[in-house]
Amino acid sequence: MNVSAKPATLRFYKERLLCVLVHIQQHLDEPLALDDLARLACLAPHHFHHVFTGMLGESLGSHVRRLRLERAACQLKLTKTPVVQVAFEAAYQTHEAFSRAFRKAFGLSPVQFRGRNGVSARIQTRSGVHYRRQKPPGSFRAAQLEDKTMKVTVKNLQPIRVAFMRHIGPYNQVGKIWDRFTMLLGKEGLLGSAPQFIGISLDDPAVTPPDKTRYDACVAVDAKFRASGEIGVQVIPGGDYAVLTHFGPYEKLGQSYARLLGQWLPRSGRRLRATPCLELYFNSPENTDPEDLVTDIHAPLETK
Amino acid sequence: MTAKLDLYKLHKAEYATPKEPVLVRAKPARYLAISGQGAPGGTRFTACIGALYGAAFTIKMTRKFAGKQDYAVCKLEGQWFFDGDPAPIPKDQWKWKLMIRTPDFVSPDDLKTAVGTLLKRGKSAEIREVTLETIDEGLCVQMLHVGPYDKEAETVALMQSFAQANGLKLSGPHHEIYLSDPRRVPPERLKTILRVPALKQDS
Repeated sequence: MNVSAKPATLRFYKERLLCVLVHIQQHLDEPLALDDLARLACLAPHHFHHVFTGMLGESLGSHVRRLRLERAACQLKLTKTPVVQVAFEAAYQTHEAFSRAFRKAFGLSPVQFRGRNGVSARIQTRSGVHYRRQKPPGSFRAAQLEDKTMKVTVKNLQPIRVAFMRHIGPYNQVGKIWDRFTMLLGKEGLLGSAPQFIGISLDDPAVTPPDKTRYDACVAVDAKFRASGEIGVQVIPGGDYAVLTHFGPYEKLGQSYARLLGQWLPRSGRRLRATPCLELYFNSPENTDPEDLVTDIHAPLETK
Repeated sequence: MTAKLDLYKLHKAEYATPKEPVLVRAKPARYLAISGQGAPGGTRFTACIGALYGAAFTIKMTRKFAGKQDYAVCKLEGQWFFDGDPAPIPKDQWKWKLMIRTPDFVSPDDLKTAVGTLLKRGKSAEIREVTLETIDEGLCVQMLHVGPYDKEAETVALMQSFAQANGLKLSGPHHEIYLSDPRRVPPERLKTILRVPALKQDS
């Protein structure tokens, strides 16, 4: 691996995210759609949220909520705007919800905060990015490699022809689609010796409403297999992939994605390809305790 | 939805796995099985594992599709047939039976249908060799072995002295239940239940 390329890629990813951070600060009153932000970062939406979470140390949603609260704190301090109005501008529907969030962040109610001097309007964060009225952020602290021993290998995959079934709904319910999918394949004798089970998550569960998140359950099949009914066929692109093994429950996969895409990738000298990440499953929750589940996360890389 | 049947949980007492020898009584149990000879990991061995899993999944899913009781496919197990110490025997002469524990309600007809389906899919001929059989091991000495497979002799030695101390003699065949996936787990962390049927010394 070209060593000099590493700081260059870190700078490359930081610059992309900085564009997004500036845009967020200038548009805190707007809905801030994931697709728009991903486009600013020149990243595919399905990669963007992992890179963001990994590099900033907080999800896009938490980042925006935190900045809105910091701005609200500034408004309370510097203006006479009524609390209800401040709450509304911070995108809270009710005064109560705003007060609760505010107290959690600052340890004081909005009214107490307004009456108190010398209390910081900043909420602690690893990235060092805070709300500033006049000046958008000029840089941020990218998360360090939390785990220096994180073992990432780069593998070159051949294209994989797969049968797949799409799940649209909460990610914690993909088990249901696997149940049906493996039943339909299994009764046809298509789960032979060592079936390769692959999952593809196409959305960010923190941004996309749970009833709309998409996931493809895939099993490798040979050229003779034909799509029919609920089961489709697609070819997973070959090429280089960065591989990180995730040990443990599927609910925590997001943390491993963030470490791979937000911590390892920017220091790797490699760039992401726009095709989705893959999850290769090596055992089944059916006869394995969640702590013993093994999943290889594959992040597609551009050819060097 | 009826809860999925998990045979290992249902017969928990038979799968006690302390890191020291214990006595367990294994009731007669039904297995999908395939026998062969050859080195573990060799061509024949691997083909047999494929055939066994192919049968196990196809039977389970065919039954499930027909609305019958669902169950979890159990882990791979194996019986090894040696007279005495396996160490001096060349690995390609090792004889084994690979097995997957299966609920009693799985019938020979279920197996026959699955084999037919798999052959139609062009799966390898080994699939014809998969059988459904009941194995009755009775009283056994059992112990959890943690580490590489080729370090099992130390664990077996402990089981032998335990048997002796209890007036028993290990009679075999040596039975292994593979709790870990050797493709993913480093050798020093592989967990395997070793089980050897035992007889009273004087019998």
